Amino acid sequence: MSLKTFGGGIHPPENKEGTRNMPIERVPTPKSVVIHLTQAIGAQNQPLVKVGDRVVKGQMIGDVQACPAATIHASITGIVRKIEPAPQSNSKDGMAVFIEADGTDETAYMPPLDAFACSREEAIKRLRDAGVVGMGGASFPTDVKLAPPVDKPIDVIIANGSECEPYLNIDYRTMIESPADVVEGLAIAAHIVGARKAYIAIESNKADALPVIEKQLAAHSHGILMETVIVATKYPEGGEKMLIRAVTGREVPSKGLPFDIGVLCQNVGTLKAVKEAFVDGKPLIERGFTVAGGACTTPKNLYAPIGTVLADLVPDVIQISDDVHKVIFGGPMMGVAVPSLQIPVAKGTSGILLFNTAESKQYEERQCIRCGRCADACAARLMPMLLNAALLSDDLNRADAIGLIDCFECGACSYVCPARIPLTQRFKLGKDLLRNQRAREARHGK
Amino acid sequence: MENKAMKLVLSGAPHFVTGNDIQKTMGMVIIALLPALAGGVYFFGPRALLVTAASVVSAVAAEFLFRKALRRETHITDLSAVVTGMLLALILPVSSPLWMAAVGSAFAIIVAKELFGGLGGNFANPALVGRAVLLMSWPAFMTRWSPSLHAVAVDATTTATPLGILKLGGALTDVMKSVGVSEKSALYLEMFLGNRSGCIGETSALLLLIGAAFLIVTRIIDWRTPVAMVATTFVASWLFGRDPLFSVLAGGILLGAFFMATDYVTTPVTPVGKWVFGIGAGLMTVLIRQLGNFPEGVTYGILLMNVVVPYLDKIIPHKFGFVKPRKANA
Repeated sequence: MSLKTFGGGIHPPENKEGTRNMPIERVPTPKSVVIHLTQAIGAQNQPLVKVGDRVVKGQMIGDVQACPAATIHASITGIVRKIEPAPQSNSKDGMAVFIEADGTDETAYMPPLDAFACSREEAIKRLRDAGVVGMGGASFPTDVKLAPPVDKPIDVIIANGSECEPYLNIDYRTMIESPADVVEGLAIAAHIVGARKAYIAIESNKADALPVIEKQLAAHSHGILMETVIVATKYPEGGEKMLIRAVTGREVPSKGLPFDIGVLCQNVGTLKAVKEAFVDGKPLIERGFTVAGGACTTPKNLYAPIGTVLADLVPDVIQISDDVHKVIFGGPMMGVAVPSLQIPVAKGTSGILLFNTAESKQYEERQCIRCGRCADACAARLMPMLLNAALLSDDLNRADAIGLIDCFECGACSYVCPARIPLTQRFKLGKDLLRNQRAREARHGK
Repeated sequence: MENKAMKLVLSGAPHFVTGNDIQKTMGMVIIALLPALAGGVYFFGPRALLVTAASVVSAVAAEFLFRKALRRETHITDLSAVVTGMLLALILPVSSPLWMAAVGSAFAIIVAKELFGGLGGNFANPALVGRAVLLMSWPAFMTRWSPSLHAVAVDATTTATPLGILKLGGALTDVMKSVGVSEKSALYLEMFLGNRSGCIGETSALLLLIGAAFLIVTRIIDWRTPVAMVATTFVASWLFGRDPLFSVLAGGILLGAFFMATDYVTTPVTPVGKWVFGIGAGLMTVLIRQLGNFPEGVTYGILLMNVVVPYLDKIIPHKFGFVKPRKANA
């Protein structure tokens, strides 16, 4: 039987064995954290605290009256020492709150809220107050996602358990270790949007998580029709649009969003955070992530406060070999290389990869030989070699006409390119240039 | 750890890349050509190897020296010049002077490839350009055919190719006589195995198909263009009243379809373009065979289609989530 999937895609080495069977380890409370005020797609938050204030774990420390935006909370109890820009995993410096722990375990969580008894508005407000964002990497505010326009009813919701990035195992471990939380969170999200059907979609290489999840369906589905689905192990199966295509057969229209076709997709880690926001009143202040790579001698799955600086985990929690040459926040396909270890864990950090010299090899770019492998790999059914040619000749209009904006930036084309052309990077840059050009044209009333 | 000066590299995602580069790809094509080359040695003798060596050495040297002269980085280790040299040798008669093979492949590399920007920049298949130039410059050498060493009725040092016999007004029975068989089915078999006169690497359908299957299974080449070209040749020949199976086995259709019409750089990247390219190349080949002065038309059939590739590349498929643009209505 062939498994459900999408067209295109690649099969990179999974490299998941190292941490697959490692239980998620809670790191000891760090002595200090660096919490960036803005960690989600949307508006810039303003600090709600001052230098010298004492903050309690779970207390809101950043907010803004705008939408979309996601609130930010203290992840440890202690004193605010500084509020100033600090390096961030998206490689831009952002305003951050430096908190020094005072050694107490005090928490300031919200009271529990019954998602099935409260109003829709109350539920959305709770998600906003808890600062829940998509934890698969995109960091889109979950309260906004779960409140689609009224003329876009949602009938299907999908829990994304298709962690397709190589090396990463945190979603898998979350499903294995907290299946009840995932199912409960899915039920809450389905209830909020009024979906009649919920799927839990898991890649075939993680099929052993299926019975674990299924065992929890009866007790935690709250009467919502739930079904587990095995999808093919292929990159980028866990991409939202790809997974929706695989599970429902529907394609999110170009330039559209999943709610345009009545579907909503949430990462399993996010669903656990949704459950915690309601049942435990706990904001999103901690998260799990995988630490792996050839320069990491202690590959692990960790659970740490948001704002934990990578350097502070060394050497007590993780050990790094001298050969470390590249540090990546996220997975190897879409993650961001960072310039130092002084980078804090953010809400969107699903993994930290420490690559050795061999793994960090840089290649010389050759001229495109038009082999067509990029087109075979492209999940968006684009022709990357033609986009590349258009961008190399500075023809933004041509690139736009053949679908530049529809690029998901998944990295599959760059992965397969035998000429080592940094296609994905070029497309990201091209998209920025195109948006700027369109904005300029709009200003000049063209 | 924090205090130690750590040198980290920064680069854009993805941070992961396949091991399959240009060199490996070209290496696979070379492997796929080896059965046909071995066939050339078997049917036409060890001189086939000499011609191939002259062509390959000249191609690699031409690329190296030309890029050196222009003070550009040399890329001979990507093996693409080796492929060009091999391909040209395989579409030459075994009796070709070695200097002519060398001139042809140097022309192919320098004029057809490097002057257009090197691998990836050329618009026409270098090996076919090389052959076309040799055919115009030294037609006598290019049409001096040796019979297969294993043909039953070897009584001459030179002979005509099956297509050449037809061009001179001969019938299929004359072709059978030249191969030394009396049944049509036996002719098909001899031609399938490659036991006939022709270019070094074009005669054996069996050996070419083994190489082609290897490239298709390993996904180095796409099956669409060659299948379209062979099928079109079959149908069009039949419409012209020729024996269709003979037409596909004769000449360089299979070598051209699977190894030239699949050249990455000079053929379309779009799915519809691949079909059109194959159909067009097959059609042009048959038209040249039928109506032109030459007995064979694969070279010009493919070269002519090379020219229209930029247009074929405009037929791009529908992207993910494609929405039919609605007509503007107020």
